[in-house]
Amino acid sequence: MLEEKKSYSHIFLNGIFNDNPIFRLALSMCPAVGISTNMMNGLLMGIAVLFVQFCSSLTISLIKNYIHPRIRIPTYTLTIATWVTVTDLVLAAFFPVAYKALGIFVRLIVVFCFITMRLDVFARKNPVFPSLIDAVGMGLGFMVGMIAIGGVRELMGMGTLLGYDILGFRPLLFFVLPASGFFVVGFMMAIFNYTEIVYNRRKRARSITS
Amino acid sequence: MKEIIKITVGLTMTCLIAAAIMGGVFIVTAKAKKHNEYINFQENMLKLLGFDQKNPAPESLQLCTVYRYLIHQDDQIFLGYMIPVQTSDDSDDISYQLLLVNTQGQFLKKYDLNISLTQANDEKDREKTITAVLSSANITLTFADQFIVAKNGGQRLAYLLPGKTPGFKTHINFMMAMDASYSIIGLQILEHQEDPGLGAEIEQEYFKNQFIGKDVERLKTLNVIKEPLPDEQLRFLERKKWIDNEYPENRISELQKKYQPKDICAITGATISSVAVVNGVKNVATKFAYRVKVLENIISEQKISVAF
Repeated sequence: MLEEKKSYSHIFLNGIFNDNPIFRLALSMCPAVGISTNMMNGLLMGIAVLFVQFCSSLTISLIKNYIHPRIRIPTYTLTIATWVTVTDLVLAAFFPVAYKALGIFVRLIVVFCFITMRLDVFARKNPVFPSLIDAVGMGLGFMVGMIAIGGVRELMGMGTLLGYDILGFRPLLFFVLPASGFFVVGFMMAIFNYTEIVYNRRKRARSITS
Repeated sequence: MKEIIKITVGLTMTCLIAAAIMGGVFIVTAKAKKHNEYINFQENMLKLLGFDQKNPAPESLQLCTVYRYLIHQDDQIFLGYMIPVQTSDDSDDISYQLLLVNTQGQFLKKYDLNISLTQANDEKDREKTITAVLSSANITLTFADQFIVAKNGGQRLAYLLPGKTPGFKTHINFMMAMDASYSIIGLQILEHQEDPGLGAEIEQEYFKNQFIGKDVERLKTLNVIKEPLPDEQLRFLERKKWIDNEYPENRISELQKKYQPKDICAITGATISSVAVVNGVKNVATKFAYRVKVLENIISEQKISVAF
């Protein structure tokens, strides 16, 4: 088994850097474009996704021996749908402000492909503890991505961050409109990939010299 | 064949467990959710009346809700007003009565409703009580709208009117406050899905406050103009953001009078949202002014001691 050799920190960081859902895998782009109009939305969405990913990974890795391999995808969908409904109900009941900001997007978490992907690729084949670490890493990777996109869009579009006035004026309203989401995500993906290329090149150069 | 049975049983089991979890959470959270919605509604009402944390509402403040229902019986349509009434002249206890009115605005009948104050906040409880009291078959009851009368120590402060209007994407829910002479004293946007930076600006003070001071006659011909707000008006509309003593009382009323005949300036890049709000406010206000006159006539004719 290849996965067993990997250390926990490696699994954790994998979700944030190597397999970042937004910037590397380019999965679940609809929320990344749809609600990342400000930093707060990005943060709240990230927390909601982290919770759903954590609970789903836990459930699937616990019951993985009882899942019939032919119906594993419907089972994942059901598991995720259950946890999303729970999140939706809890948010509506105890965090009305957050619920108002996220609106229908909480329910959209059901179809976030990277959660299903993580369940199939990782939680199905691994014990409970590594699955949880993987889930937290993936969720944090998504959260970081959402916060970064939301921050850029809010700063450029409204001149504020987390609702606090930073610039005092509005540079480009275009950035809060839906279309700009694609531009921001695209540019950030490019920056992410470029830093990785540079990092790998330096690493190689160092190993050659030493 | 064995496979199929296995898969069916597996999926059914999963669904059952999922349903049990969701049901459990729903039972735990349903009450809190309802409470939240109620609190939110209440807070918005107080905000419209000018009360907030710094300036809390007095304890004598009473909010009385009047519910309007459409009652279909056979081929006829009646209006049912569910109104709070005082049980006796000198007590503050409130019970509810149902007034049956035909579409021409003539009074038909009145019924006493056996419903408590907390039950009256619940839509299902209200409908159950009303259907029970009408006690005849083939009746369908449709909730039309409601309005709230804010009363402080025997004096009517304002009418609060919740409303709904189709916006750019989905419905915009709003609530407005009108004083006893039916001119607007405040507008709140409760819920909307407009674009941030464009349509979402309907939440801003400078847009909402443009409605203040407009009476029913003015509202009938109210239009949206595509002109930028003059600086002086913008500053006046957003006066809560600036220092307190910049606008003394007489200056406020003077400027209010100056801008009262003016139409509503559309938000830049969001004419559709602006028009939607204006139409919604117009619609709710004019219909309300007509209905409340009919209702007042009936109340004084029938000598009902209403609680508002």
